[in-house]
Amino acid sequence: MADNKKKSNALASNPIVKAIGGQRLIVICVIIALFAFFCIKSPAFRQYSTILSILDYSYYISFMAIGVTLALITGGNDLSIGTGMVCYALVGGFFVTKLGMPVAVGMLIVVIMGAIMGVLNGILVAILNLPPFIATLSTMMIARGLGSLLTGGLSITWPQASTADGWFRNIFKITVGDTKLPLGFLWVLILIFVMTIFLNKTKPGRYIIAIGSNKEATRLSGVNVVKWHMLAYIICGIFTGLAGIAYAATFQAIAPGTGAGLELDAIAGAIIGGTSMTGGSGSIVGTLLGVFVMSMLKTGLPFIGLQANWQQIITGLVLIAAVFIDVIRTRKR
Amino acid sequence: MDKIKNNALVKKIGFNRVILIGVLILMYLLFGALCVALGRASFFTMNRIYSALNYAYFLGFLALGVTFVIATGGIDFSVGPVMFCAALIAGYSLNTHGVPLAACLLIAIVVGTVFGIINGILVAYLDMPSFITSMASMMLAKGVGSVFTKTQSVSWPQLADANGWYRNLVKITSGTTIIPTGLFIFIVAAIICAIILNKTKAGRYILCLGSNKEAVRLSGVDVRKWEALAYILCGMLAGMAAIFYVGAYTTVQPGLGDTFNNEAIASCVMGGTSMSGGIASIGGTFIGVLIISILQEGILAMGFQKDYQYVITGIIVLVAVWADIRSRQRRN
Amino acid sequence: MGEVILTMKGIDKSFPGVHALDHVDLEIRKGEVLALMGENGAGKSTLMKVLTGIYKKDEGTITYEGKEVEFENPRAAQAAGVVIVHQELNMMSHLTVAQNIFIGREIMKGKLIDDAKMNEEAKKLFQKLNIDINPTEKMGNLTVGKQQMCEIAKAISHDAKVIIFDEPSAALTEAEIEELFKIIRDLRDKGMGIVYISHRMDEIKVITDRVTVMRDGTYVGTLITKDSTKDDIINMMVGRVIYEDPKTKSNVAPDAPVVLKVEHLNAGKMVRDVSFELHKGEILGFSGLMGAGRTETARALFGADKKDSGDIYINGKKVEINSPEDAVKNGIGYLSEDRKRYGCVVGKTVAENTTMASLENFMSGLFINKKKEEESAWKYVDALKTKTPTVDTEVVNLSGGNQQKVVIAKWLVRDCEILIFDEPTRGIDVGAKSEIYTLMNELVAQGKSIIMISSEMTEVLRMSDRIIVMCEGRKTGEIDIAEATQENIMHMATQRN
Repeated sequence: MADNKKKSNALASNPIVKAIGGQRLIVICVIIALFAFFCIKSPAFRQYSTILSILDYSYYISFMAIGVTLALITGGNDLSIGTGMVCYALVGGFFVTKLGMPVAVGMLIVVIMGAIMGVLNGILVAILNLPPFIATLSTMMIARGLGSLLTGGLSITWPQASTADGWFRNIFKITVGDTKLPLGFLWVLILIFVMTIFLNKTKPGRYIIAIGSNKEATRLSGVNVVKWHMLAYIICGIFTGLAGIAYAATFQAIAPGTGAGLELDAIAGAIIGGTSMTGGSGSIVGTLLGVFVMSMLKTGLPFIGLQANWQQIITGLVLIAAVFIDVIRTRKR
Repeated sequence: MDKIKNNALVKKIGFNRVILIGVLILMYLLFGALCVALGRASFFTMNRIYSALNYAYFLGFLALGVTFVIATGGIDFSVGPVMFCAALIAGYSLNTHGVPLAACLLIAIVVGTVFGIINGILVAYLDMPSFITSMASMMLAKGVGSVFTKTQSVSWPQLADANGWYRNLVKITSGTTIIPTGLFIFIVAAIICAIILNKTKAGRYILCLGSNKEAVRLSGVDVRKWEALAYILCGMLAGMAAIFYVGAYTTVQPGLGDTFNNEAIASCVMGGTSMSGGIASIGGTFIGVLIISILQEGILAMGFQKDYQYVITGIIVLVAVWADIRSRQRRN
Repeated sequence: MGEVILTMKGIDKSFPGVHALDHVDLEIRKGEVLALMGENGAGKSTLMKVLTGIYKKDEGTITYEGKEVEFENPRAAQAAGVVIVHQELNMMSHLTVAQNIFIGREIMKGKLIDDAKMNEEAKKLFQKLNIDINPTEKMGNLTVGKQQMCEIAKAISHDAKVIIFDEPSAALTEAEIEELFKIIRDLRDKGMGIVYISHRMDEIKVITDRVTVMRDGTYVGTLITKDSTKDDIINMMVGRVIYEDPKTKSNVAPDAPVVLKVEHLNAGKMVRDVSFELHKGEILGFSGLMGAGRTETARALFGADKKDSGDIYINGKKVEINSPEDAVKNGIGYLSEDRKRYGCVVGKTVAENTTMASLENFMSGLFINKKKEEESAWKYVDALKTKTPTVDTEVVNLSGGNQQKVVIAKWLVRDCEILIFDEPTRGIDVGAKSEIYTLMNELVAQGKSIIMISSEMTEVLRMSDRIIVMCEGRKTGEIDIAEATQENIMHMATQRN
């Protein structure tokens, strides 16, 4: 027993392990194990196209997850992101396909709507002090209704890749010669880098962590906590908008009233990556790794004969497991 | 104003609930007027009332359950999908496996209770945050329901069919007279819930632990048991809600139901149950359910899409929770 | 005597229903430590919050360095050199020490935070104060004492001219208090004006130059510390002389049976191999400094926290206590030091709290018999002289002393034979205090047995029949009241390994 402890301590103090972080290392192992498992179980899985679809799934979840990581770090949450993402993609697409606006304008609308929703959530949580989960649950309902109302309850299809306006799909997946390159992954990496710097090296990032750790103490240190608390939700909204663009580029038709439940993929990803539900600590890189666990499952499960309905069950179970680990980890402190 | 507040009858019902009843009546009249203004068929018909009541029964059972959970200071986002899951599993057993109807109704309640037990264990015994836990079990409920029925929707029998008697639980039609049995059952259920909450040990401990769990634990009370019980009651009531849902609408689709969570929560917070726990009112929830039901019926009657209801429900929750927080801040 | 740096004159502040400050005056001088004293609720904290801009004053003037000022917020006060070291630690446990010290005024390199430079500055600061703390350590990993030092370092890093210490010693060990005093003297000698808020009379005598006393939101007066006695100060605080006679001999019969025996109790770091016996009709005092592990011992004994090992015998029979439920079944009741959090459910009524631990005795079949419940509640309201309009009143509306009586009633209804009083009079005003003492004496006279944890030496000497002293989780002494003196108790309380 004591020997094991010593061994695990030695492992934990290994410089490489320390640099990556214990939990993140475990998550990397889980990703590799999952990948190996699916490869062994299903020959069809061992294809380049599978990796592409794993990445396809990862884009919109990543964007949402990066955003919601900030909300989680403040000690809050944002349940409106899943429904919101679909709502913004719908409305943006409506402007493009039904009103004939340029695709670029449509994309801008998607992001702006996300930002507006972020401001609304920020006002509710930071200024009116509503509990984050109930505030964002309400805005989730509002987003759900608004999405269908603004588009008249119709499904929306953004321009196809083959059409002139379909260029925006190339942002995420570009075809060079015969091979499709997952360009989106590059954007994800860049945003991960930018947000890591933001969180750890800038004042707003520092204050967001401080608010999650002890809001009152941060306020008494002369920091405008309302402003920075709001900012976390606004950034979360903007990233949800980006997720909306990725979602529109990845999928063909977008149906109103869908999207509920996708927020849980993002939240589960963030928590798997080591962000705590109790606030104050979180890692953007960890979130990316967590998202890969989720998108690996989403892509892989159909290969072993488990369809969409099983994915809901798996999401539920993974979420319970991730939160449980977080609870244990928090209790230890 | 004070005169009204001090009136004996008002005092007995509670001032806030009197206002809620006022809101309910005003809404009813407002929808009537709007229907006239929009040139729609009259809102003031018995059919509209029965239709609103159909909605109120299953929503009522959901909201009664959620009231217990919110009283503990928690939340349950899984009730809607659990109701659907229960209706799917029970209906599929009835249609495909030929299980007797009475047993199927029991199955529905058991399925709901099982989900309640899962939530109860996770939240009360493993100390997991209730909102994220119940969202996870919402996913489980959706998935299990749809796996069980192989993603098919399930239609329960019609009244005229061999196994149709269960629909009499909602209303009995003989000739031109309609007896709203569901209303009686709902009222009885609400009274029983009110008694549990206010007169029994379980209710007392649920309310107290919602107010200060640690102090109750240090009084030598097994708080985990009582907290879990709230979730189990909630799950059981969601199972019962399934019976009234199919009794009114017969058809259930897999993968849905989450919008009902929001409406159930809205009914509770509107009725004066505090999101921070410790304060709950079954009477308030009862009226809240009627308000949401009239709202959905009114939107239908005006020929609007259900989407308006989502938006309005969202706003209702925000306003109710904000008002609750404000009133508490003022008290302190 | 230093020159005046800050004057508050005629400060008035009202909250809905409370006149918190009634034209209060205060004068802070350079190179001097001013004690601000008063009972709980006297308005000390409110006054300091007005000074540092957390509250807005209704009336009065603040003159700082010859100019009239009104700080908009704590940040403006900091910028001007008026800083406060709070009673509750204001730290972000997930951030490092340096990040905490420079929160709100990070050192920047372009658009990015220069953490390396901040660590360096923090190191310099600690050197100046002679404190050994690593600036890159996460705040949450430090001991409470070290965290307090960081708070002080943070305060003086603002180029402070006036520093307010709000009960800084509450969570410190003896050694840490010594260190704190060294720092305070050092700051004083550098010409800073220091306000020291504390309840501990001994500290006031040691560290302060003048004492300003407040009572019920009013200014009572100011004394020169070295020219006044403890009694002078206490008289000003309470407005009357209080008599706190120590008990001279134990009231317990020599042959009184042992009702509780604890052997080799271990729980975490704070409870290490604690053994003791409690006799029938005895008040067993637990003395020691903050953080000695007394509350932890009580909680482990009561099953509130997990214990690692140890045996508990009640009336000679070994019992298993793994939860408060087990403890209560065995006739033990626990009155927490933190009533609002652990004692009563403040949002519920007096009657509901009274029957909390024994609800099964108030059932008629499945239902709670409210009439019986209220009768019982009234019975104890009368017996304990609890001041409450009705038993339907929510406990939140009662004063601290009356809340404590409701908690006592809870355990009396349950008929507990062994009562653990953890800081029974903390936060309770002087009048209610002696009522609680009388009550405890009545209880032991009726044959109940009491464990009393107390940090107030006078309380320990006045109430206990026998005293157990703890230090750093271990029992360091056991002494009969007849032989107990402040000196020998303090000696044992500081007997570290």
